[in-house]
Amino acid sequence: MTTLDSRPITPEVRDNYLTFTRGLLSWIFTLDHKRIGVMYLFAVLSSFFVGGVMALLVRTKLLFPGKVEWMTADEYNKAFTLHGAIMVFLVIIPSIPAALGNFIMPIMLGAKDVAFPRLNLFSFYLWVLGATCAVWSLLAGGFDTGWTFYTPYSTQFGAGGTIPVLVGVFILGFSSIFTGVNFIVTIHKLRPPGMTWFRMPLFLWALYATAIIQVLATPVLGITVALLVVERAFNIGIFDPSMGGDPVLFQHFFWFYSHPAVYIMILPGMGIISEIISVHSHRHIFGFRFIAFSSIAIAIFSFLVWGHHMFTSGQSPLMNVVFSAITFSVAIPSAVKVFNWLATLYKGSIALNTPMLYGLSFIFLFTIGGLTGIPLAVLSTDIHLHDTYYVVAHFHYVMMGSALIAMIGGLHHWWPKMFGVMYNEFWGKIACGLVFVGFNLTFFTQFMLGSQGMPRRYYMYQPEFKIYHHISTGGAYIMSIGFLITAIYLIYSLFAGKKAPANPWGGASLEWQCTSPPPHDNFATTPRVGDCYDFSAVRWDEKEQGYVLDTEAHLAAAATGKGH
Amino acid sequence: MLNQIPTILLQSSSDPALAEVKSITPKTFWLPEGASTLSSEIDWVFDFINYINYFFFFLVVGIMFYFMWRYRQKGREVYARGPSHNTVLELGWTILPTIIVVVIFFMGFKGFVSAKTPPESAYQIDVTASKWNWSFKYPNGATSTDLYVPAGRPVKLVMRSDDVLHSLYIRDFRVKQDVVPGRFSSLWFQADNPTEGEEFHWLFCTEFCGTGHSDMNRKVFVLPEADFGRWVVEQGRWLDKINDADLWWKAGPQLYRACASCHTLDGSIGTGPSWGNYDGSGDIWSRTSSPSSQHKIDGGKPISDIIGPGKEHEVPEGYLRESILNPGKHLVDPYGNVMPTFKGQLTDRGIDALIGMMKNLDKFDATGKLISPPDGAAGAPAAK
Repeated sequence: MTTLDSRPITPEVRDNYLTFTRGLLSWIFTLDHKRIGVMYLFAVLSSFFVGGVMALLVRTKLLFPGKVEWMTADEYNKAFTLHGAIMVFLVIIPSIPAALGNFIMPIMLGAKDVAFPRLNLFSFYLWVLGATCAVWSLLAGGFDTGWTFYTPYSTQFGAGGTIPVLVGVFILGFSSIFTGVNFIVTIHKLRPPGMTWFRMPLFLWALYATAIIQVLATPVLGITVALLVVERAFNIGIFDPSMGGDPVLFQHFFWFYSHPAVYIMILPGMGIISEIISVHSHRHIFGFRFIAFSSIAIAIFSFLVWGHHMFTSGQSPLMNVVFSAITFSVAIPSAVKVFNWLATLYKGSIALNTPMLYGLSFIFLFTIGGLTGIPLAVLSTDIHLHDTYYVVAHFHYVMMGSALIAMIGGLHHWWPKMFGVMYNEFWGKIACGLVFVGFNLTFFTQFMLGSQGMPRRYYMYQPEFKIYHHISTGGAYIMSIGFLITAIYLIYSLFAGKKAPANPWGGASLEWQCTSPPPHDNFATTPRVGDCYDFSAVRWDEKEQGYVLDTEAHLAAAATGKGH
Repeated sequence: MLNQIPTILLQSSSDPALAEVKSITPKTFWLPEGASTLSSEIDWVFDFINYINYFFFFLVVGIMFYFMWRYRQKGREVYARGPSHNTVLELGWTILPTIIVVVIFFMGFKGFVSAKTPPESAYQIDVTASKWNWSFKYPNGATSTDLYVPAGRPVKLVMRSDDVLHSLYIRDFRVKQDVVPGRFSSLWFQADNPTEGEEFHWLFCTEFCGTGHSDMNRKVFVLPEADFGRWVVEQGRWLDKINDADLWWKAGPQLYRACASCHTLDGSIGTGPSWGNYDGSGDIWSRTSSPSSQHKIDGGKPISDIIGPGKEHEVPEGYLRESILNPGKHLVDPYGNVMPTFKGQLTDRGIDALIGMMKNLDKFDATGKLISPPDGAAGAPAAK
């Protein structure tokens, strides 16, 4: 870092963050938010691969209704538990904020780095430590409690690796908290002049709302898993009724974090979609303030609805009624966002690039995911649907079909910026199509399974459900082919991809104004901030093979309020 | 109907290949056919929400595809001018969903109130869940592993768990309730149509409980009320069908489950004296049958004062029998008069079974499970 000042960065110096320093140590000890973001990305995508393999094992077992030779019930239980825990704690929670957010957020904001670069690196190594605990858990016999760790199963029974994985979750929680703290302070303190709250891109609003939840909710998870460890290791009765504890108390603690956590997962995705939809339809985002405040509203409401996971748990009927009523309040800001995205398409100039196809897939899948949340929030229908495949389908539509699809879309959107290369558009579209079709085959059938009463986490099932499970598994295979193609063309592009222009899509936010890949300290001079959704000064440039932004015209338009 | 029941009982419902035959399978993509009075109250709400969902889904996706086609980018044309906000429109699509969800909330609330309010006259069945079994106990003491209910009568299930969380779910009745260790939970339903022949409704466990979670499915039979009455009486005589010689290990542990909440088997402290050796005077059989027993009752008297030829009880069996039927007569030191009488709930054969179990306590583990079944059909080994 000390070399930074001695090295003048001018636009002519084509040095970038990847070539600024070299060698393995320069990565391991880097304080550059971009490199930390890239390391997170690699780590998260590797975990995604492992979690995906687990999902395929589960789906393959479910081709057969009865017992299979090659996978016992215990192994099956471990496989789906591992799938859930990896995908939630190692993949989706850090995916957008810690990987993409770390890379893009300071650049979008116009800052040189996050507020606390050392904390940022520390939080990455906490993630690594947490992931190591998951591996330790596997060596110690794995864990089979479901990712929800319900007591007293998790404290009295459960496989030998339960304590290691709880320790891992505890550590990962701190990784998440530190990222949240860092982002809050960065957004408050490092905005350049002119970057007012309402000039700030919606992705940053979403990250800000997410960071608030991370900081406020995650400590409760830490306390909860710590209590679990204490009960399991030292037989101190907290949740186990045979020692005077209360298992339903655990569910309250757990969902007090884990419900807000689903917004930690989805809110940044919504932020990405706001960027993608606006940039690729070259059209000012519709209803900026409604979208921005709906993110904050979701963050606030998220703390008040945890009890809707417990309608059949034995909590008092009055609480069920209250939680059901409040739950509906989350539906409204979500609906507002969807309508605003649709209105952004209106009169746009819609380029159906790969990121945009993911963005439009998101609207399609999130609409299904959101609407199918309604019968789960309604008291009487949830009694039937709770703990069935209907719930599984609903949260995969929201967590995978929405949050993860947004992450993949954002990855394609910012890939040229991150690595300075273009991927193959043709294969991008093919892969997106395969993922979209495969996803719907996999999970739409599960709504039917759930409506018909197929309970979740079943190793064996009644033959009447066979046809649905077969379609679902087939869909999962198609989806994995899509992801495999994505991995191949993305990796290929790193070595042989066409050089990316600074602004391949025609964006007007600050990250498109620095080179691709960005220089080590992002901006040579303090950037001047216009309206990031005003595309009136964006032109296609044949020579650049990319878009260019006429900065003066852009700033002038923002000053006069024109360009909407 | 009645003569089919024994064969139904023998079928293992955990093997899906066997079990498919007569379950009532759903005929639509969505809800299976309802079979309780609650289902009609719940199903129309589900259908109503589905119609609203279809409407909004096709609206959103329809508009999206139309815009995708209508406003697709032509060439490199970039800047598109369109409205950046419209307060009236935005307030409109904030308020309209609000109204819809408030209406939907109340629709669901009504059904929930019905589901949570069992009629006073409900027929109560006690349910015990354990890894990985369901046990249903009827008011006359009859027990079964599949659930039998009378048609046309409200039925209330009062449920508890022996170990971890379970959840009782009868999909055709639209009822589900977690079964939580350390507390009682309940649900109720009324099924008006009897199941025909071997037809049944599925009962699933829907809270993950470990290895055998997906084995915890059982059948629900709805019998016409008169048939049910006969069934439950017949089922209550299950003890009569067991050989005298096998009573202690076939019936004993099952009956002991009712004792287990107060009397442990391994000498550890419970609400009542343990059957195991807790005071140094041996387990329950040896401390009552030994003439030199140091076991104290009624404030310091040795138990041998009341047991023996010519005394209050000629043989220890008499004392044990009285302790079950009239537990307040003699109190073991230092325990108080807490135990309820089991008069009317336990037949003489039931008491024989329990005493037989006491005599063979070393053949059971601490939870009352037989460590290994006795050899062949030789029956009970000689009492000590």
